[in-house]
Amino acid sequence: MEPTDTTNKPVKRVPSGSLKSAPSSDFQSPMPRRKSWFRWELETSEYDLLFLSTSIKLLLFPSYRSTDFEVHRNWMAITHSLPMSQWYYDTTSEWTLDYPPFFAYFEKLLSIPAYFIDPKMVDLNNLDYAPWTVVAYQRSTVILSELVLGAALLRFIRGSVDPSTQRIISASLFLHPGFLIVDHIHFQYNGFMFGIMLWSILMARNGNKLASGILFAVLLNFKHIYMYLAPAYFVYLLRSFCISPSGKLEIKNFLSLANAVIAVFIVSFGPWIVMGQIPQVLSRLFPFTRGLNHAYWASNFWALVTAADRVLLRYVSRTGADVAINISGVASTSRGLVGDTVFAVLPTIKPIHTFILTVGLQSIALVKLWFTPTYKSFLTSLTLCGYASYLFGWHVHEKAILLVLVPLSLLAAERHAYFRTFIIASVAGIFSLFPLIFTPGESIVKVLYSVLWVVFVYVPLTRRVYEFPISLSFVIIDTLEKIYLAGFPLLQLFVTLFPMLVARRQQSAAAPADTCVSTADFTCPEPDPHAGGVAAMEFLPLMLTSVYCAIGLLWGFCRLMFVYLNETTYQGPLSRI
Amino acid sequence: MDPDELSALPPEAPRKSPHRVRTISVNSIRSLQPGSLPAQRSYLDYERPEILAPTPRQALAGGRHLLENSSQWLNTRSHSPGSSRQLSPTLSPGRRFSTLSPQALKFPTNLSSLQAAEAPPERDVEHAMARRWIRWMHKRGVKAWVVPSALLAATCDAGQGTPPMFGDYEAQRHWMELTIHLPIRRWYTYDLQYWGLDYPPLTAYVSWLCGIVGHRLEPSWVALGSSRGIETEASKVFMRSTVVLLDALVYIPALIMFTRVWQATRSKRTQNLALVTLLFQPALLIVDFGHFQYNSVMLGFALLAINFFALEQDVAGAVCFVLSLGFKQMALYYAPAIGGYLVAKCIYLGTPTSLSFLLLFLPFLPPFAPTSAILDPISRIFPFARGLFEDKVANFWCASNVVFKWKNWASSAFLVKLSAGITALGFLPTVLVFMRIAWQTQLTPGAKPPPHPPILPLLPYALLTSSMSFFLFSFQVHEKTILLPLLPITLLLSGAPLDSTVFGWGALANNMLRSRDGLGVQYIALTVLWNRLLGYNPLRLPSRSFIQLLSFAVYAAALSLHLLELLIQAPARYPDLFAVLNVLISTPVFVLLWLWSIKCGVQMTWAVGGLGSGGVPRPHRTASMVGVDEKPVDSRRSSIVGPGRRRVPFESEQEASAE
Repeated sequence: MEPTDTTNKPVKRVPSGSLKSAPSSDFQSPMPRRKSWFRWELETSEYDLLFLSTSIKLLLFPSYRSTDFEVHRNWMAITHSLPMSQWYYDTTSEWTLDYPPFFAYFEKLLSIPAYFIDPKMVDLNNLDYAPWTVVAYQRSTVILSELVLGAALLRFIRGSVDPSTQRIISASLFLHPGFLIVDHIHFQYNGFMFGIMLWSILMARNGNKLASGILFAVLLNFKHIYMYLAPAYFVYLLRSFCISPSGKLEIKNFLSLANAVIAVFIVSFGPWIVMGQIPQVLSRLFPFTRGLNHAYWASNFWALVTAADRVLLRYVSRTGADVAINISGVASTSRGLVGDTVFAVLPTIKPIHTFILTVGLQSIALVKLWFTPTYKSFLTSLTLCGYASYLFGWHVHEKAILLVLVPLSLLAAERHAYFRTFIIASVAGIFSLFPLIFTPGESIVKVLYSVLWVVFVYVPLTRRVYEFPISLSFVIIDTLEKIYLAGFPLLQLFVTLFPMLVARRQQSAAAPADTCVSTADFTCPEPDPHAGGVAAMEFLPLMLTSVYCAIGLLWGFCRLMFVYLNETTYQGPLSRI
Repeated sequence: MDPDELSALPPEAPRKSPHRVRTISVNSIRSLQPGSLPAQRSYLDYERPEILAPTPRQALAGGRHLLENSSQWLNTRSHSPGSSRQLSPTLSPGRRFSTLSPQALKFPTNLSSLQAAEAPPERDVEHAMARRWIRWMHKRGVKAWVVPSALLAATCDAGQGTPPMFGDYEAQRHWMELTIHLPIRRWYTYDLQYWGLDYPPLTAYVSWLCGIVGHRLEPSWVALGSSRGIETEASKVFMRSTVVLLDALVYIPALIMFTRVWQATRSKRTQNLALVTLLFQPALLIVDFGHFQYNSVMLGFALLAINFFALEQDVAGAVCFVLSLGFKQMALYYAPAIGGYLVAKCIYLGTPTSLSFLLLFLPFLPPFAPTSAILDPISRIFPFARGLFEDKVANFWCASNVVFKWKNWASSAFLVKLSAGITALGFLPTVLVFMRIAWQTQLTPGAKPPPHPPILPLLPYALLTSSMSFFLFSFQVHEKTILLPLLPITLLLSGAPLDSTVFGWGALANNMLRSRDGLGVQYIALTVLWNRLLGYNPLRLPSRSFIQLLSFAVYAAALSLHLLELLIQAPARYPDLFAVLNVLISTPVFVLLWLWSIKCGVQMTWAVGGLGSGGVPRPHRTASMVGVDEKPVDSRRSSIVGPGRRRVPFESEQEASAE
């Protein structure tokens, strides 16, 4: 991935030479530039961050890990011990391979050293095998593969318009609590894949759109969830790379891009095309049998709708209003388990509804992108595409919020409006990831780390972009947002204390199973006696978390959309790219 | 310029002046000349600084910070006057000497020295990550968050060392269980086979309090008998949080107070840097949070005692120390130093006051008495029934056992006496040094005492000497007691410049290998992070100094040992081969550290005693004696001549001290 300097668009770009010599005065007074075989020429402060983050991640080695750990170990075993023709057919473990082929290749690569470290690690039938060596090995592969992210972020600093601000943003991304929670505690390889995504965005910024397109195609073949972002890429590349500003089709560019993308897909899916297994692969990649909400509700629009359904159901059952209640929905929504979500009062949502809503909202942003195909516009509409998919998509996983937060971070220092959106979305988004980690020891870490992260990002950046509120409506919105943000500590307090209170009440009352403990919450499912009120009560903190975060995220979406559509002034550093 | 100027935001201005305009007092330059004979500089040196040293210097009076004091005196190749680490972090001493000394030798006139001295330092390079960080936070307006974030980060670190559990955990939990369920008279007799309570009463009281809280939260955690070996997720969290809470209640306030009291005149940044250094000390984090202990409470009380001594509140200090001793008998390691200090203070204050002081302190005086009484408390507290040493601890007995089998040679009773005797010999120097300084600087009746007694800067070194001698020579030492010597050396380190001998010793001692049982990754991560925070690098120590060579040798040995350990299996005949080798590497370092601390104490006797004894300056003696160390003498001594000869402070100094 050589960052070539082919600029096929007249970009007002800072010559890299002058930037190299420009003092980077963030942490550090200028060091003498040594000639080094190491290309990246890390600043001392960047080494510091590397040390810091690596230490934290090493300390997290023995922490809680989810089933994803076993999922990835199993995939290593599958790719190591089976021929390619069996990869997408194997059902030895319940954790079947359901990522695209590049990720399977990646697992194959990881399994080679794994075999030499511990052959049992890549044994297909050795399920749930997790001694210390396996943990250490898998955790360190996450840390090492995340260096791709670090490298991309470094390149962002090097060529940026305002290196010192970009350094803060880059550091914030590298140390993002989302990655810490999802990758280093929960266990996934998101840092690596977001690294590729940022490389792709970086190429777009540097004007190398062909490379950007190719990298995005590669990324799609690592994890297909990035399809959320594909519309923005498609419009941007089509408009700014394949069509000249005068509206003429640039055949050469178009063909090269199309061929390159097709080539990437052939490299990826080729073997399975030859083997004729494409339908099987696709059925693994896109299981359309899941429900509207994930295991616990991702904090999106549907979480709000589901919560509204609960409130309505309670209202209806209290007042006895004449509304048709879907009996199957009464039990279904109170749990929110994997499976089809059926509403009790509201009309049932079908996948096609979510699809139409998502695409409709995305297309608003895409139209704007079509007419202003600049880098900044691309970045905003990319964020909005991810955002719309997250908020309105079918069976969205809560981890998908990273798809919003990562590109949004790059916009954080644009203007105050972007910055406010960034802060609200980040706080709400990170908080919505908290329920992933429920063990008490790691909970302390996740909360403290996130608080520190917010402080270190908020304070320096807000000084750079602060704008005085100019009208009453601004003041009101500003105050409301502050109140909203202030609610998060209280929510965290509630989430921490509530289970204890419930446990205590349960003990003291020794409540019989059929009485409904519905004093503090609004879920009281009558037709489910053996689960009783307690199960619903246990679900309350999760529900409150997702609803509260969903409000902020939805507001952030509206805010960003509004800012984007009204963006005519083109202030901010990114406008000059 | 580049488009930075076009930005809507004000561009980050590059650091315009990497160097500050510095002036160096002439006498400090002169004092750097190794060639000048003591005889030539006998009298003039005392007159000259008052005429030719216009730089603001902190007088002895006022809040001169004490760590600087001690490290500056002893580490005599010191920097410019004032705060060394703050003003000249950049000058590597090797460079300074290579540029300065020849010129100074060739043209020993004041003028040329001045010119040479005023050549600006090249660049303001910060080696310490923590300092860079603090500076960044100050620049970015995150200033108010420096201390809170350091605390949060340390807690974060602490929370991460969660999983492995050891016997200590069950012991502490068991004590909570028995204290809340049994009457107080049965606490020390109940089922001694199963983790019987073997810490002093304060531990028992604290266990009792924690137990009450735990009982209110969840009775099954501390149910008598039935809760043995309970390790539910929630009970672990509860126990962890008691450690964190006690840490936050005792140790962290003590640390903050330490940086504010002992480094009172240094900048906020430097104080915060010291705080970060102390907070992230890897050994304590690992032992307290990785294993499960409450050492930080004991250390915190001891530290509070030192702080109160520095504030001249000796009674409060003594109470704190007794609390520390009452929490864990390990604090006895400090007792000779603390007791020595208090007695010395009494001597220093002169006979009439000292008697009353002695009377006042008598109930509080730690079990320190000259000769006979020393064996008694030791024999009560230390489990002599066990062997001379336990496991493979890096002390004298274990190391010498390789060649000399003590157990075959002498009876256990004799070994107890022998170890007690050698331990007493080990801390005797520090007590003697205290007495001597106190005697020499004894106040004449009616004289107004200076703000700090001259023995105060010696206190950290004394703590180091006495605790190290206990660690090395006493009977049945547990490996975790290394925390006690590590505390004073880390305190000294936290105020020392990056290239000083103190710093070298401190970092070396903290980096020494300890057994890691299962916490290897955490241990390495924390140690690397801590060293990075400090900016420690043996290369930056004074070149070809003893400590640098020693560091190289030790690190090389440790590295090769680790490689060996990775590559070869220990032979069946010697299963403990690597552990023993580890001990053989560590013990000499600790012995040398102990000797070094004694040396520092003795040097300080000369420095203080030679200058401050009843207004009779003895410059010849001091200069030549400190010269034994082959290092030039700090000029600052000249500003701390005895009461009769103190120069009038300059205006700037008065301002500085007023601040």
